[in-house]
Amino acid sequence: MALHEPLGLIDKARELRGFQTEPAQMRSGAPGKVGRLRLGFSLRDGRSVLHDLYRVAPLLVQQALYWDEAMPELPVCPIISVGGGILQGDRYTIDIAVGEGACAHVSTQGANRIHCMDANYAAQHQSVTVEAGGYLEYLPDFTIPYRGSRFLSRTDLVVAADATLLYGEMVLAGRKHHHVEERFGFDLLSMDVNLHRPGGRRLFAEKILIEKGDPTIAFAAVMRGFDAFANILCVTPPETAARIKERFETHFPLEAPRAVSGVSRLPNAAGLMLRAVGVETYDVRNEVRRFWRIVREEARDRSLPAEPYWR
Amino acid sequence: MRHGEPRARLAPHGMTHLARLLQFADSTLPIGSFAFSNGLESALQTGIVADASSLLQFVSLVLHQTARVDGVALLHAHRAALADDYDGVVVADRELICRRVGEEQQAMLTRMGRKLAELALKSSPSPMLERWLADIRLDATPGCLPIGQAVTLAHLGADETEAFIVHQYGVASMILSAALRLMRIDHFETQRILFAAQGRVEDDYLAVHDLALDEMAAFAPVFDVLVAHHTTVHVRLFMN
Repeated sequence: MALHEPLGLIDKARELRGFQTEPAQMRSGAPGKVGRLRLGFSLRDGRSVLHDLYRVAPLLVQQALYWDEAMPELPVCPIISVGGGILQGDRYTIDIAVGEGACAHVSTQGANRIHCMDANYAAQHQSVTVEAGGYLEYLPDFTIPYRGSRFLSRTDLVVAADATLLYGEMVLAGRKHHHVEERFGFDLLSMDVNLHRPGGRRLFAEKILIEKGDPTIAFAAVMRGFDAFANILCVTPPETAARIKERFETHFPLEAPRAVSGVSRLPNAAGLMLRAVGVETYDVRNEVRRFWRIVREEARDRSLPAEPYWR
Repeated sequence: MRHGEPRARLAPHGMTHLARLLQFADSTLPIGSFAFSNGLESALQTGIVADASSLLQFVSLVLHQTARVDGVALLHAHRAALADDYDGVVVADRELICRRVGEEQQAMLTRMGRKLAELALKSSPSPMLERWLADIRLDATPGCLPIGQAVTLAHLGADETEAFIVHQYGVASMILSAALRLMRIDHFETQRILFAAQGRVEDDYLAVHDLALDEMAAFAPVFDVLVAHHTTVHVRLFMN
């Protein structure tokens, strides 16, 4: 089966050269291992709706729910993975489009677990488009790469100049309480994100590449003492970005910090980036929620409800 | 010159070349590096750096990172400059600024890049550097320091390994000169750290010399928080 074109490009990535063997089980990219998800939101009669939904297991979205108490007009779509995690040879594509003036929130049901691998790798391509005046929160839960796993994720974002996108990547360095070699025990984690304006101008790009045995992981300026990190992008017009940055207080306690965080400006006046590092996932999540609340208040004049008890 | 002996036997080729390379690698080259600490000021305030050994680790990390991002852009710009491909230089410049998060980190790159171009043009005319500086003034290209170094050094006949070394040395010496003013450390210690940190330059070059611009990558989450931290502190000596 021919793969979706961006996934074909991912296959050629340099860091995957050492991981091209085929699994003893189903071959890579076989039917059943290629998850597809396409979500389209648009404004209909003044209300944001999920007008387009296409899905191929193991990725699943059922319907948009309007259950955000602080923002009742917001269609909320949790992505469900019926496979129980990402396995070797899996290939996912996720496309999310938010039309002019529409809003949406997309999350995941639980952590994105990348299982142990002895052959091949897993890859994901995401494309997110937010048109003029649109507002999208795409905040997947933590990615947890298990030891020996190889995962590559590419994300292409296209955001109109007056739209706002909150997109985040949160990573826990393995099942830290499960095994001594889990912390950064994966073979490869490669995540990159590219931000363009409609029409092609590139505003921002970042690639995180962590390969097994990287000695800098243990450095104090990298991850010493911490196991989780988050990079949360807020693409928003400069005046909104200025108000958000003004309100967000850098968090860097000097004595045994549970989490540290701060907001920096993106290049080309594209918006802001929250950087957060913490001991446990909830320490990092607290920082992300603190930022998320301010973004919502400044971009949409809506607040953020308290975190649900099951989180 | 002794009568009758050819010049080449008395003085090896490339003496002027090395002399000019030393000039552009000098840590006192007036391009404004004294104003930047590359995150060290926040690293000291937060205890990430506290003594000579943690300073060596910090410098090593920054060299590791900068090789994998700025170093890649520098190599591409150098190759473009040698091929007289001005568009290639601008592409490397834009790709590099696209990957720089934090207003102070961006300012460090572009202020020093512009200063270097102005300074180099005063000493030696170079049509490509002149065009690049004109485009910086028109806001048509960002003007990042490693790109300026690549164009300047290519014009002086430096090969890409020499340009890479000059760049990496400049980053290390900038942090260490900031360290002398920020922490309890003497010149002997900072020179010892510089000597040790320089030992990695060959491995860093080999790790990045064949990377494409799209492959520029880094991973240093706490450093990234320090970058944000510095923009909000009240007492500070440096611009980043």
